[in-house]
Amino acid sequence: STDESDPWWNAFSASCKEMNMTLKKEIFPAATDSRFIRAVGIPAIGFSPMNRTPILLHDHNEYLNEQVFLKGISVYERIIPALASVAALPNEA
Amino acid sequence: GGQSFPEGEDPSVSLFRDYLRLRTVHPEPDYDAALRFLDRIAEELELPLKKIEVFPGRVISIMTWEGTNPTLKSILLNSHTDVVPVYQEHWKYDAFSAFKDAEGNIYARGSQDMKCVTIQYIQAVRRLKARGWKPTRTLHLMFVPDEEVGGYKGMETFVKQPEFHKLNIGFALDEGLANPTDAFTVFYGERNPWWITVHCPGS
Ligand SMILES: [Zn+2]
Repeated sequence: STDESDPWWNAFSASCKEMNMTLKKEIFPAATDSRFIRAVGIPAIGFSPMNRTPILLHDHNEYLNEQVFLKGISVYERIIPALASVAALPNEA
Repeated sequence: GGQSFPEGEDPSVSLFRDYLRLRTVHPEPDYDAALRFLDRIAEELELPLKKIEVFPGRVISIMTWEGTNPTLKSILLNSHTDVVPVYQEHWKYDAFSAFKDAEGNIYARGSQDMKCVTIQYIQAVRRLKARGWKPTRTLHLMFVPDEEVGGYKGMETFVKQPEFHKLNIGFALDEGLANPTDAFTVFYGERNPWWITVHCPGS
């Protein structure tokens, strides 16, 4: 769910907002392992921190710029603590 | 193999390029090379690495950083280790050399899909650990084979096994796609293959 009331989405999107990142929400056009995770009832977000990058997956000359790659580490450095610190949910002990 | 540190290069970039050079390419991915690589990372990060052989030669590895409140649901940072084949004749550089040009563009199969994310998770965890931060919820970094050929010998089977349920996952991050603009694309759902049989009785 990408509803602001969803604690996972809220943690994820709030940390992106703090980094002034613009997020574009979409439905994935292909199939990834997330579909199996979601199928057993676990919410999942598909996200690879690559902006200013042409979509070249499965294509010839697939590349990623090192600065975009390095920025992505900092992005996870913020997102991971936010997710790992989500307060106990109503259905948790 | 040993890690290479080209002069002046950020060690995270060097690690990324090392990982891109592993030929985990279909139809016969060198998964052993990936497992050796992950062993080395787990040792460096001082995190336990569990290996579950879902099918012969198809191993799922899970690196776990236990949270300070392990009864809470955990966070999964998921990535696949395999990559799709290449038509080398259409590439400017060797697709498994991780060549970096003058603009800092790193060319390799898997540079976007999705060895970048694997190394980004690893390096983010490494930095957080170095800073002395500790997670409240347990973090699992999962490295999965077989994604590019449908996931049957990987995630599809694993999610139905007790070992998966024991991970007590509350939320997962997995791969997305690049975005050519300034924005970052986020996927909250996925298109489902939906087969329909249409019967047309003739007259
Ligand atoms: Zn992928």
